Amino acid sequence: MYGVSQNIKNTANIILKILVVAIFAFPFLWVISVSLQTDAEVNTFPATIIPKTPQFNNYVRAWQAGPFLTYFKNSVVIIVAIITIQMLIMIPAAYAFAMYDFKLKNILFSLVLIAFMVPTQVTFVPVYLMMGEWGLLRTLWPQILPFMTNAFGIFLLRQYFMQVPEELIEAARLDNASELKIVYKLMIPMAKPALATIILFSFVSHWNEYFWPLIMTNTTDVRPLTVGIAALKSTEGFVNWNTIMAGNMFLIAPILIVYVFCSRFIIKAFSYSGIK
Amino acid sequence: MAKIEFRNVTKAFDKNVVIKDLNLEIEDGSFTVLVGPSGCGKTTLLRMIAGIGPQTSGQVLIDGVDVSNVPPGKRKVAMVFQNYAIYPTMTVKENIEFGLKNNKVPKEQREKLINETASKVGLTEYLNRKPSQLSGGQRQRVALARAMVKNPSVFLMDEPLSNLDAKLRVQMRVELIELHNKLKTTFVYVTHDQVEAMSMADTIVLMNEGKIQQKASPEVMYKDPDNLFAARFIGSPPMNVCNLDHKGNKFGFRPERVDITDEYVNDTAFIMEGVVVTREMLGHETIYSVRNEEGITVTVKRLDDKWRMDQKVFVSVKDIKDIYFFGKDGQRIRENDNDYAYCINQLRGVKNEEN
Ligand SMILES: Nc1ncnc2c1ncn2[C@@H]1O[C@H](COP(=O)(O)OP(=O)(O)O)[C@@H](O)[C@H]1O
Ligand SMILES: [Mg+2]
Repeated sequence: MYGVSQNIKNTANIILKILVVAIFAFPFLWVISVSLQTDAEVNTFPATIIPKTPQFNNYVRAWQAGPFLTYFKNSVVIIVAIITIQMLIMIPAAYAFAMYDFKLKNILFSLVLIAFMVPTQVTFVPVYLMMGEWGLLRTLWPQILPFMTNAFGIFLLRQYFMQVPEELIEAARLDNASELKIVYKLMIPMAKPALATIILFSFVSHWNEYFWPLIMTNTTDVRPLTVGIAALKSTEGFVNWNTIMAGNMFLIAPILIVYVFCSRFIIKAFSYSGIK
Repeated sequence: MAKIEFRNVTKAFDKNVVIKDLNLEIEDGSFTVLVGPSGCGKTTLLRMIAGIGPQTSGQVLIDGVDVSNVPPGKRKVAMVFQNYAIYPTMTVKENIEFGLKNNKVPKEQREKLINETASKVGLTEYLNRKPSQLSGGQRQRVALARAMVKNPSVFLMDEPLSNLDAKLRVQMRVELIELHNKLKTTFVYVTHDQVEAMSMADTIVLMNEGKIQQKASPEVMYKDPDNLFAARFIGSPPMNVCNLDHKGNKFGFRPERVDITDEYVNDTAFIMEGVVVTREMLGHETIYSVRNEEGITVTVKRLDDKWRMDQKVFVSVKDIKDIYFFGKDGQRIRENDNDYAYCINQLRGVKNEEN
């Protein structure tokens, strides 16, 4: 009896998991499928799920529909700059908030948390005016500067740093390590899961950013991929779903690569934490 | 090599004064053990020497130099933490190497030092492992190796054996004594275990509630305690202590100095009639408690195990030198003190009352 009911449970469990995976994976697989279909096939009814004659023509068309090399370069430069600057600001800030006692510490930390809660929609007008005043509207800076700090990252990393046993840092001080060395030889390696999580979140949200670059840019030479792909709709005159989906793949593929890379790090980093 | 001195040192956490006006000298090259009940301030004292928990006022001197403004890494001090504090993301080798790298020791010399130290503590095969892949004893050795490799002039150890099982603890005790004999540097070792203190120290510093109760060699500590606290803390089972009079004076004697007989014995310093109420056979020795009608209980440690539960016996201390007197304030009253004669008289009174 026990064996049978256990079996049913297991089967139900597996079916449920497959169902969940299917729900999450379907839209993505659908994008791939459409991006490989011919113009005729896209417009047939009922829609085909597996392309009859898969071909990469749409990718070429999408790439040539605009200055996609420029868009892609812009996106990469923006994301690399944002994440690098965020790390440079976030790590020392989190370390200071976690480890030192200084004047106004609590007030300053509250400010960080408040910044975390302000939606970007509230700030875009003053930021736009400010960037215009500084003459930066024809550069990539309006898409980088406002995101130099990551309040969520500071918060998460600070929590992580606070969990590090005091003795470890004291041991390092006795080993004549400078504060800088303590941060990058001890704290950062131990905070890898947190850092991987933060990088992943930051990457996804800024790589996919549409609203902000749309209003901050007036010329194609500073636009990122998201804006370029949205423009595919209008340049073609009528809606060519297979081309648009091919364009979307330019956007999605890097996210997948970063995700695979980061998730591996997260798992690896978690294996350290099995020690007291 | 280094001598350590505390001069009028006070340590407070916020408003909570943990150590007040403490003076202490730790001799160069000694194996000094700080011992006392948990919470008495041993770790606090050790951290002041290391410079990771500086004193609130007063001075700490190493080799006659006030180190108040010397950062921990420049004090030539190494510390083994109670929970080892091994860097979890580094391999055993990197753990040992970290301090050397920070001190800019050249690569070839680092390799040589690491290999030497690793073989001394038996870690050679584990150099490339991560701490998570080591047993408790091995982690303890990593902590030790990390301290040794820097060739410090002071070794600080905070209950380094408390997380090991009993067998390994005894083995490590011997190894640490040998290590001290080899290195001849100053060891300051913290423990709450008086057995550990007695077996390892050449000087014991006994603390209670942030105050030093007595500083002496293990022999003196055992044979000639300065006060009631020292008398009770050192020795296992602890010293028997009874009231001498109604003014708060007391006398005590060690369980291992008590005889048990089935008949009254003449010419003893102290004798009491009672009944065996507990009996613990520990192998080569047996511990009895004997209680009289007034409820006074005397613990006795004997090599013979012939006394039985509920048996009527006499417990006695033959030699007056085995009896210790303490004043109302808990301080010892010694032979050449004024009150000694009074104490002897009182003791006779106690004995007569008993019969
Ligand atoms: N960081 C701290 N903050 C506040 N109180 C502390 C701190 N460290 C130790 N104490 C207090 O100081 C006293 C002595 O502690 P400690 O030196 O750790 O004792 P021991 O090592 O002898 O067990 C204890 O009462 C403890 O509560
Ligand atoms: Mg302690």
